[in-house]
Amino acid sequence: MSAPTVETPRRALAWRPGPVALAGAVAVVLVIAGELVSPGFAGYGQLVNLMRVAAFLGVIAIGQTIVIIAGGGGVDLSVGKVATFAAIIGSRVMAGDDANIVPAVALALLVSAGIGLVNGLGVTLLRIPPFVMTLGMIGVVQGLILAYTGGQASGRAAPALTSLVNGRIVFDLPGLLFLWLLLGLLAVWLLRRTTFGWNLYAVGANRTAAELTGVRPGRTLVLAYVLSATFAGLAGILLLGYTESVFLDLADQYMLPSVAAVVIGGTLLAGGIGGYAGTAVGAIVLTVLQGLLTTLDIGGAWRTVVNGVVLLVLLSLYGRQRRLRS
Amino acid sequence: MSALLEMTGVRKRYGGVQALDGASLTALRGEVHALLGPNGSGKSTLDKTLAGTVVPDSGEIRIDGAQARIGGPRDAHALGVAAVYQQLSIVGDLTVTQNVVLGLEPARRSGFLDHRAARDRAATALERFAAAFSGRLPLDRPAASLRPGEQQIVEVAKALARDPRILVLDEATASLHKEQVEVLFEVVRELRAAGVLVVFTSHRLDEVFALCDRATVLRNGRTVATVDLSSTSEDALVRLMVAAPRPEPASPPEAPHRASAGTSAAAHGAREAPVRGGTAEPGAVALEVRGLTTDRLRDVDFTVRAGEVLGLGGLQGQGQSELLLALFGAARITAGDVLLDGEALPLTSPARAARAGVALVPGDRARQGMFASRPIQENLSLASMRRRARMKLALSAPAERRAARSMVERLGIKIGSLNDPVATLSGGNQQKVVIGKWLLDRPRVVLLDDPAKGVDVAAKEEIYAIIRGLAAEGAVVILNSSDNRELTELSDRVLVLFEGAVAEELTAAAITENRLVSSALRLAPGETL
Repeated sequence: MSAPTVETPRRALAWRPGPVALAGAVAVVLVIAGELVSPGFAGYGQLVNLMRVAAFLGVIAIGQTIVIIAGGGGVDLSVGKVATFAAIIGSRVMAGDDANIVPAVALALLVSAGIGLVNGLGVTLLRIPPFVMTLGMIGVVQGLILAYTGGQASGRAAPALTSLVNGRIVFDLPGLLFLWLLLGLLAVWLLRRTTFGWNLYAVGANRTAAELTGVRPGRTLVLAYVLSATFAGLAGILLLGYTESVFLDLADQYMLPSVAAVVIGGTLLAGGIGGYAGTAVGAIVLTVLQGLLTTLDIGGAWRTVVNGVVLLVLLSLYGRQRRLRS
Repeated sequence: MSALLEMTGVRKRYGGVQALDGASLTALRGEVHALLGPNGSGKSTLDKTLAGTVVPDSGEIRIDGAQARIGGPRDAHALGVAAVYQQLSIVGDLTVTQNVVLGLEPARRSGFLDHRAARDRAATALERFAAAFSGRLPLDRPAASLRPGEQQIVEVAKALARDPRILVLDEATASLHKEQVEVLFEVVRELRAAGVLVVFTSHRLDEVFALCDRATVLRNGRTVATVDLSSTSEDALVRLMVAAPRPEPASPPEAPHRASAGTSAAAHGAREAPVRGGTAEPGAVALEVRGLTTDRLRDVDFTVRAGEVLGLGGLQGQGQSELLLALFGAARITAGDVLLDGEALPLTSPARAARAGVALVPGDRARQGMFASRPIQENLSLASMRRRARMKLALSAPAERRAARSMVERLGIKIGSLNDPVATLSGGNQQKVVIGKWLLDRPRVVLLDDPAKGVDVAAKEEIYAIIRGLAAEGAVVILNSSDNRELTELSDRVLVLFEGAVAEELTAAAITENRLVSSALRLAPGETL
């Protein structure tokens, strides 16, 4: 992915690979390693499959990127739960009928946006730390899910949604990948070519200066959390299309990987620096790594260890890069 | 009597600024010694050198005849030096007792804290100030719950708990009430009687005369003189602080400064008129401020005409920055009106003020003015991009680039690429970016808080030219400056502020460096807030 080079200032003489390039290289290395260990790992069909798995994480992490760029300890831990809730609402309202797609998606996204709004207001007006606010929100949404479903998810994805997500369009690529590409471009546009995006970077880089430049930091932050929850809701709908029927913890496990994808993509947890191109690569790295570990038949415990080590190695590389640059 | 403290040849450089240029200070045991000088003369730096919070580039400090190496506050403490600054070092969540004994908590032999001893020690230190607390000592209250003046007293008690031989009081009376000042002075006199040296800095000259025995005057980082205050008049003291050591004739000798500005040939040393390069007659009154009051400002009144540069003078920290922040909607206004062209300015938030045509170049560039890690492009676009955006949202990259380029050319900002982080630029160019972002918004009112502070001489001149240009185009310009020469060069009028109120207004030929300094210092303090 080639985004504008805004976050990677290049010096004419000493070009060094930025986080995005480094993470991309790691993804390639992992794929080659997979092919060596288990021939066929890098086959076309297999790669398409990996990309499809990465897409869900990639879409959820759009919102996470936005919130983390906003700085001030910004993070949205509720994205997984919100995605689950959106899928549950979508499934029940669709009830397997194409005619219900529009109201189902609209309601799911509206509820998601509402949750994001509460997150945003809690963080800005009540000054609750984002970590605490969105962690608490997980519990609230879990309660809403139980109240809404009575403990038993119901309904079914509409066939049109399923064929949009799973149907092969060109080159045997599923529609999901094109949707991811579209949403990814939307994210890059939002961040790089809108007043919201530039305000967001400004607030993340220096909130006081942003306010004294006429930016409304509170409004920008609230919008960031609304967008985060909305993209999470969208990811939930896509997951629903993929799995056709839902279960009560469908997308919960995306919580930490969504943060990891953002960080691997070179976005600073401190805010103000980063972008979606990196996050997309980060989502791919994480997914390929999972695929490789599955292929190697490595058990749960060691899997977690390897995940952690890869994250630490990449981050220490980035730290080195930044020092060399400055 | 031999000197307790001898500081000689102390030098300290901050970036491009020589804060101390061979300053010296000799003070005796059992005296209260004032350290005086105009803004930027280096008194605070000298204080901090003594207290170990600033390490000088060179110079010698002798205490009691022995050479002292002060590499940090701990060294200073070990040598018996304690300091109190205007900015508090109180930890709000700790109790008063914990604050007073912070760093020297008494421990039992077991290694656990001895709370009773701590409380006793704090009580002893605070006892002499009992009168300042209306009787009861708030030993167990969190420090944050005290009033500012009381916190200041706790700060002094904390210094005294260290049993210093030398006590530095740097603007330590600024937040105190009159009665509290009296209590503090009583304590200082007791300390003097006990042989302690107190180094005292205050912007209130009457306090200096009431308390101090001798005074050392600094100017431009050098020591000018040390005088005996009992045989020195206030006038003589002020004269020592201002530029010319000779007795001051009327005012003409100051005028040539304006001509020496260099860039503007139009400003040729005229005496009477407020000549400024390229500026036509100021127009009608544009900005009207009536009874403006905030936490730090009292009842400020003034008007500014279109095309006029209004300077804000006085000692630093007398409310100049607060006034600019208030006019930009960034400080809560408790009373008063601000009108632009006869209509009330919406000053409830900076965003609303900016949309109404007000711009602020804040005093602390790194913290308040720029986005160090973001590209120059975004730094320049941010304040005005909503004007160019479609539906206030969609930005056009070429349009933003054109706008940024136009400003880079107009202000002569030296950059590599617009995509470089603004932090890669020199200080002067960074400041031009901060100014440039507002020029793109075409503001009616431009508020500048010490815009040329810490930039090199060439950039300074360029920033002056920008300010003159703004006025020439009919903007209302309000300029706060800690540099009196800057005020004389640029201002049509100067308001001298003192403790949050307008103390004096200087116009035309009265705007000289000498007048600015004497006006800033010689005012009767009157009652505090």
